[in-house]
Amino acid sequence: MSELTVVVENLRKGYGPGDARVEVLRGVSLQIQKGETVALVGKSGSGKSTLLSLLAGLDQADAGTITIANRNITSMDEGELTQFRAANMGIVFQQFHLVSTLTALENVLLPLELLRRPRASETARSLLEAVGLSHRSHHLPSQLSGGESQRVAIARALAINPSILFADEPSGNLDEETGEKVMDLLFRMVEATGTTLVLVTHDPELARRCGRVVHLEHGGLA
Amino acid sequence: MILKFFFRKELKRYPFFFLLLFTTLLLGTLGLVGISVVSSEVQQKLRQSANELLTSDLAVSARRELFPAEQEALQKIFLKYPHGHYKIIDLYSMVTNVATGVSRLVEIRATGTGFPFYGRLETDGDPFQSERLFISDDLRNLWGIGAGVSLKIGTLTLPTAGVVTHDSSQGLRGFSLAPRIYFPLNRLEETGLLKPGATGSFAYHYKLVDPSEEVLREIKLEVYAAIPDSAVKITFPQDTSDQTARVTNTLTNFMALAALIGLILSLVGVFYLYQSHLLARLRDLCLLNLYGLSKLKLVGGIIAQFSAVFALVMTVELLLIPVIYRLLAPVLSRNLGLDLGTQVNLLGAAREIPLLFVLSLLILTPLLLGLLRTPMGLQLKAQKLALGRFRFFDFLPFGFALWIFSGYLARSFKTGNIFFGSLILVFLVSTAIVKLGQWLLRRFIQGDGLLTPTIECGVALRGLTRSGHKLTLSFLSLAVGATLISLILQLDKMILTEFAFDAKKPSLFIFDIQEEQLEPFQGLAQANASPLAFVTPMIRARLEAVNGKKFERKKKDFDFRSREEDEDTRLRNNGLNLTYRSYLTDSERIVSGEPFPAGGAPEGRLSYVSIEKRWSERMNVRLGDRLTFDVQGVPFDGVVRNIKEIKWTSFYPNFFVTIEPGQIDAAPKTFLAILPQGPLPVKLSLQRKTIEAFPNISFIDVGELVAKLSVLFERSRQAIEIISWLSLAVGLVILYGLSHDQVYRRYYDLALMKSLGFSSRQLLLNLLYEFGALFFAAMSLGLFLGWLIAQLIGREVFKLPVSVDWARVFYPAILLSILCLATIFLSSWRAVRAKPRELLSDS
Repeated sequence: MSELTVVVENLRKGYGPGDARVEVLRGVSLQIQKGETVALVGKSGSGKSTLLSLLAGLDQADAGTITIANRNITSMDEGELTQFRAANMGIVFQQFHLVSTLTALENVLLPLELLRRPRASETARSLLEAVGLSHRSHHLPSQLSGGESQRVAIARALAINPSILFADEPSGNLDEETGEKVMDLLFRMVEATGTTLVLVTHDPELARRCGRVVHLEHGGLA
Repeated sequence: MILKFFFRKELKRYPFFFLLLFTTLLLGTLGLVGISVVSSEVQQKLRQSANELLTSDLAVSARRELFPAEQEALQKIFLKYPHGHYKIIDLYSMVTNVATGVSRLVEIRATGTGFPFYGRLETDGDPFQSERLFISDDLRNLWGIGAGVSLKIGTLTLPTAGVVTHDSSQGLRGFSLAPRIYFPLNRLEETGLLKPGATGSFAYHYKLVDPSEEVLREIKLEVYAAIPDSAVKITFPQDTSDQTARVTNTLTNFMALAALIGLILSLVGVFYLYQSHLLARLRDLCLLNLYGLSKLKLVGGIIAQFSAVFALVMTVELLLIPVIYRLLAPVLSRNLGLDLGTQVNLLGAAREIPLLFVLSLLILTPLLLGLLRTPMGLQLKAQKLALGRFRFFDFLPFGFALWIFSGYLARSFKTGNIFFGSLILVFLVSTAIVKLGQWLLRRFIQGDGLLTPTIECGVALRGLTRSGHKLTLSFLSLAVGATLISLILQLDKMILTEFAFDAKKPSLFIFDIQEEQLEPFQGLAQANASPLAFVTPMIRARLEAVNGKKFERKKKDFDFRSREEDEDTRLRNNGLNLTYRSYLTDSERIVSGEPFPAGGAPEGRLSYVSIEKRWSERMNVRLGDRLTFDVQGVPFDGVVRNIKEIKWTSFYPNFFVTIEPGQIDAAPKTFLAILPQGPLPVKLSLQRKTIEAFPNISFIDVGELVAKLSVLFERSRQAIEIISWLSLAVGLVILYGLSHDQVYRRYYDLALMKSLGFSSRQLLLNLLYEFGALFFAAMSLGLFLGWLIAQLIGREVFKLPVSVDWARVFYPAILLSILCLATIFLSSWRAVRAKPRELLSDS
C-alpha cells in the first residue's frame, strides 16, 4: 500500500452568523495517497473550493482534522501553518495570481528565496525553461498572456518541490486550446516529480485525467 | 435609474471612497473658503467705514503744501459746490514729556475746526475738540500719561486735554510707525515744524451737500485739469478703504497661495481616488453602456455625482465657518486692529466657490476623457479591465486654470507666476528624481536574487522600481507638502534674523535736518560724543519724463487690479525722494552698469543716475535712459549709469534714485543721518539736546521699529503657517488614501505572498520599506526644495547670504516622519491580515 499523504477526518466548515450561517462542509473524511492525482468535482456551492482552501491551510476548519505528511495542520497557529505551507505545498490559482511587481523569474524565485534554498536562481531558471518561458523570464505579469501567466504559476508552485500541489480551476481562465496545453504541462510535471495533486475543476475532461475523482454534493462526499 | 446608480447604490457600496473624497475636498478647500470669508469680512468692514476712514467726502492732498495758485484753483472749483471743509496736516516729529524729559517719535495729526465730518473720536474724558491737544491710547500706554500733562512739540508746549481711545479714521491699529497725537492746526505754525522739506502730508478735506458719484467725478476732472502736478492727488472714501485693505489683502493673498497648495494636494488626491474608483466600477459602467446608456451620459452621471459631493462639502464648510469665525473673531480683531463683529457674512465665499468647483472638476477631465476613450464592449471580454489612457494634453485645461487661479488669488501676476513656476519646478524635479531613483534602484537590484539585502526589502525595492505614475503622484504630493513646511520654517528663521536688532543696525535714524542746521547739529553730536554717520542729503523731486516721454496720471477703473498695477499707479502719481552721493553704502550693490566716475559731474555733461533694481523694473527704466526730474519746479536731467540692489532692512539712509554729485548739490534739501549703536545715556542725551536746540529734527528708534516690524511679520508668518499645516494635513490624508489604495489594489499580491510563506511581520516590513522609502525620499527633496526656495527669497527680498539652520530641517523631518509612518502603518494594517483564502476562485 502507498504512503498516505493527506488524511481528512470529519471536516466541518460554515460561514456567516446565526440564522444566516451556511454549512459548506458537513463532516468530510478523505484519504489521499502519495503521488495520487485527485480531482474534486461538484456543482457550484458543493464545497469543493472550501475543501481545497482547508487542505491548503488557507483557511481554518470549524471542526475535524487534516493531517498532511503526518502533521496535523488544523492544530497549527498561523505562523506554523505559513511555514509548513511554504515548505510543503504548491498552489495554482484560477486567476494565476502572480506578484504584479515581480518578473516571471522573480515570481518563481520568491518561494525558493523565502525558504533560503541553495541555488535558487538556477532552479527558477530551469523551471521556467521547463515550462517553455525562459525567453520571457524578465517580463512582468502585465506583459504575459493568460497561458504564459499560468505556466509561470505552475513553475512557481513546483519550485520548492512540494509534497502536494493544489490547483484551483487551473484552466478556468484560459481558452480551450491554451488550457489543454497548460494542463498537459501540469500533468507532465506532476508525473515527472511524483507530486501529489489535488485539483478542483468543473471540467469533466480535466477531471478524467486525474487518477481519482471525488464528487462533492451538499457539503459531503457523494 | 441613473440617479439611483450614481447616488444611492454607489454611496451604499463605496462608503469609504465617498468618505475619503469628502474629507480630502473638505480639508483642501476649507483654507481657501475660510480666507475668502475673512478677507471679504475685512473689506466689507473697511468699505462700510470708508467715509469714516477718510473723515470726509473727498480730500485733495500732496506731500507738500499746495502752492498759492493751486489753493486758489481749488477755491474756485469748490465755489460751485456747496460744501464745508477743513485741513489736516499729518507729519512725524518728536514729542517730549516735559515732566520726565523723555522724548519719542509721534505721528502728529494737526486738524482744523470741524474735524471729523464723518466718524467719531471717543475719549476718556472731555469730548474731542480740534482746538486742543489729545494723545492716542498707544502713547498713553507707552508713557502712562493722561489729561493735564505738558507735552513739548517743536518749540511749543501744550497741556493734553485727554486720551482718544477710539479713532474711526485709523483703519488698522497697530500697523502705524508711531503713536498718534491730535494737534490743533492753528497752532502748528508755532511749533516751527513746518520747515521746507518737512516729511508730511497736507490734505484739504471737503464735505459736499451732494456727494453723488457724478459730482465727485466732475470735481476730480476739474481739479486734475486745474492742477496738472501728479504729486497732487484726489482721494475718495473708497480709495482710503482700498489703501487700508491693501495691508490685509497682501497677507490674505499669500495665505491664499499657501491654501492653494492644500487645494492642489487635495485635487491630486481626488484624481487618484476617482481613478481607482472608476477602475473598480468599470465593469458596471461597461454593462450600463451595453444596455444603452451612452458614454456621455455616464460622464454626466459622474460629474453630477462629483457635483453633489462638492455641494455637500461646501454646505458643511459654510456651516462650520461661522462657528470657527466666532471663535477666531476676537483674535483677528486684536491682530488686525480692526473691530470685526462675530457674525460672518457667508456671501464672501460666493466668489471663490464657483472657481473652486471649476478647478476641482477640471482635474477629473483626463479621467473622463479616458472613460470616453474606453472601448467598453471589449472590456467585458477582457481578462483585465483597463480605463482608456489619458494623455498629457488632457491635463492642460487644469494647468491653465491653475495658472489663472494662482494669479487671481495672489492678486499679482508676478507672484502668481512665481508660485505656478515653483509648482512646475517641484513637479519636474519630483518626476526627474522618481525616474532617476527608479533607474538607480534598477541597477542596484540587477541580478536574479530577491535578497537585496532581505527578501522584504528586495520585494519592496522592486515595487518601487516598477510602479508607474502612481508612485510619482504619491511622491509629488508628499514633496509639495514638505516643501511648503520647510519653506515656512526657513522663512521664519530669515524673518527672525532680519529683524533681530544686531550690532550692525543703527541706533537712531535721524531725519528732517534742515540745511542750515546740519553743521551746528553735527557739532552738537560731536560734543555729545555721539558723532553722526551716513549724513545724506534728501531732495524732494518727481520723475517727469523718461527719454523725453512724459509720465501721465494713470488709473485703471476695472475691478481686478493686480498688486503691481496698484504700486505702479502709486509710484507714477507720487513724487520721490532722491539723494546725491558718489559712494555706495554697505547695503547697496551694483548689479549692472558702472559706478559713478570720481570727481562728480562736470558742466556740459548730464549727471549720472543710479537707480534701484525693482524701481527700474516698475518704472520700465533701463541703463542709458535719460530721466527728467522736476526738482521743486526746476527740471533736472540725468542718464542712468547703473542699477543697484538695496538691502532696505539695514535701516541706513537709502534711496531709489541717487544722482552723481556736482550739478544737483544746490537743490533745496534736508538731511538724514544715523547714530551708530553706543551707550544708552549718550543716545538719550543726544535726543534731549537735539530737541532743545533743533525741535524740528526727528528720530526713529531703530530698535523699537525693528521690534514692531518683527511682531507684524511674525503675525503674518503665523497665519501662513496655520494654513500650511492645513495643507500638510491634506497631504497626510492623501498619503493615507494613496497607501490605502495601493494596499487595496495589491491585496491579492499581499495575500499571495502570505500563501507563499510571508509572515505578517514580513508583509508589514515590506510595506514599510516601500512606502517608507518613498516618503523619506519625498520628504528629503521637499525639505531641500523648501530650503532652496527660501534661500532664493532671502536673496531677492532680504539680500541675505546662503545659510542652513539644521534645527529647522531636522525637527520637521522628525515630525513628518512620525506622522507619515503612522499614516502608512494605519493604512497597511489591513494588508497584514490579508486572507489567502480569498485568492480562490469562489471568493
